[in-house]
Amino acid sequence: MRRLNKDAIGAVSVLAILALAPLVARSDYFTGILTVSLIFGIWAVSWDFMSGLTGRENFGHALFIGAGAYSAAFIDSKFDLSPWWGLPAGAFAAVLFSLIVGFPTLRLRGPYFALAMLAAATIMQRLTRIFWQYTGGEEGIPGLDPLFDDPLATYYFCLLALALTTAALLALAQSSWGTILRAIRGDEAACQAAGINITFYKIVSLMISAACAGMGGALYADYQQAVTPDVFAVALSITLIIMVYVGGMGSIYGPVGGAIVLALLPELLRGLGEYRLWVYSIILMFILFFSPGGLVAPLWRRLRGTP
Amino acid sequence: MTALLKVEHLTKRFGGLVAVKDVSFELEAGEIAGILGPNGAGKTTLFNLLTGFIAMDLGTVEFEGGSLAGLAPHRIVNRGLARTFQLCRPFRGMSVFENVSVGCLAPRVRHSGGVEARARRILGQVGLGAKAATPVDALPYGDLRRLEIARALATEPKLLLLDEPFAGLGGNEIEPLSALIRKLHAEEGLTILIIEHKLREFMQLVRRVIAMDFGEIIAIGPPAEIVRHPRVVEAYIGRTEAPLGIA
Ligand SMILES: Nc1ncnc2c1ncn2[C@@H]1O[C@H](COP(=O)(O)OP(=O)(O)O)[C@@H](O)[C@H]1O
Ligand SMILES: [Mg+2]
Repeated sequence: MRRLNKDAIGAVSVLAILALAPLVARSDYFTGILTVSLIFGIWAVSWDFMSGLTGRENFGHALFIGAGAYSAAFIDSKFDLSPWWGLPAGAFAAVLFSLIVGFPTLRLRGPYFALAMLAAATIMQRLTRIFWQYTGGEEGIPGLDPLFDDPLATYYFCLLALALTTAALLALAQSSWGTILRAIRGDEAACQAAGINITFYKIVSLMISAACAGMGGALYADYQQAVTPDVFAVALSITLIIMVYVGGMGSIYGPVGGAIVLALLPELLRGLGEYRLWVYSIILMFILFFSPGGLVAPLWRRLRGTP
Repeated sequence: MTALLKVEHLTKRFGGLVAVKDVSFELEAGEIAGILGPNGAGKTTLFNLLTGFIAMDLGTVEFEGGSLAGLAPHRIVNRGLARTFQLCRPFRGMSVFENVSVGCLAPRVRHSGGVEARARRILGQVGLGAKAATPVDALPYGDLRRLEIARALATEPKLLLLDEPFAGLGGNEIEPLSALIRKLHAEEGLTILIIEHKLREFMQLVRRVIAMDFGEIIAIGPPAEIVRHPRVVEAYIGRTEAPLGIA
């Protein structure tokens, strides 16, 4: 009970800080950076829900992000529907892709799933260039309608989306569903011997993860009012994994912190000019080397006073 | 009386090696039996075939009159046939309680009373009640062996397959575990099949021993007969292990 209270206080404090930050900073530039970091948060928690809990690493989460972003862009530019339809359409498209990759590979042991995700995202990125008549090629699809005209409204909507996604995935992770996913990470054969249909749990968890990432991808397209092939990039998938590591893998809430910290860090280091990337990388390596369990979740556990 | 488990002509090859060769036997409901054989005799492979972890090449396995051929491992567990592993396979990073609750979440038992209450009852039954909150990574080996059994029990099996439950235990840990297995058989009416490679642990525990060597059944009978059976004696002669475990 006590622990639950502390978690609630922590969650409310973080929400309050995030809600006040753009009001205090009063800068559209800063609000924009913060909006993107919230969207990264959605992607990172959704990665963690599947891969952090089951231990099945996914090297191509950008597949779901890109599927969501391009679906939202198509809905907006080709079908002339309200941009709001982009959110469910993005989630749906991402789930479809998760089935195409997850169904054949998640029943296998070994690295097939991780590599198939990587390959699928890369192939999709190529396809956006090959079918440039439809996708706009390298230029992408510009000129999308925003969800809101006011950047602050967009920011608060992203904050709401992140809060709801995190709360829902955290609740699932703490339910018996999460217990089973962590057991799958522990030992797949032993989990089968306990009567659990592990393939079912892995595939449905990937679908949930994809739905959140796809919705986040649509949100990103709406925020940028454009999509480019970069939403399928390997670099994006890897950035998300680093965010999850820094946040604390398998904790669900940690990656939110990891995403925000790492999305803001380059801005904080802006004064360093050309040394920025070096310092950024060194800070990252320090974190991963000295705190292999991540930074955010272990820190919170210490603050909260439970192991 | 029909058999709970009926195995006929079960065969499995790994390349040129016939790990299980034309094995046929039956188990009656309520029976407690053992499988004896030196290392490499094919005992674990036999369990893997019965529980669907390895596909059989030939033969039939019937459980309660229904075929188990081609069923995935989790489906077989949900029919009521559970197993433990020769090397303990706990879910690392989780507590003792969480480990057992995974078994309580098997579809077969999921809706029969609260998961938490059943997990606690089973932990009490195997003597791990006081260690429910302990992370498994901090558990001594003897307790891991009990946890392995508890997780299988959580699925409320009719037939429990134990793969070398005494392996790696110290001398003073064997008798209490043996008593636990006897209790499960007597009080819960569980049908139990135990693998061992030393006959000594069996003498008090099982009524019937199925002896294997090189993938084949070489003798079936009560422990007292098996220990003197010429083919069993022969199987152990010239090996580092004697059937009585005194080598
Ligand atoms: N998955 C496998 N692939 C190839 N050979 C195997 C496999 N599993 C077991 N074997 C071989 O089958 C034989 C029987 O092994 P096993 O059933 O583990 O014996 P036991 O449990 O009686 O000690 C051994 O020679 C072993 O090396
Ligand atoms: Mg064995």
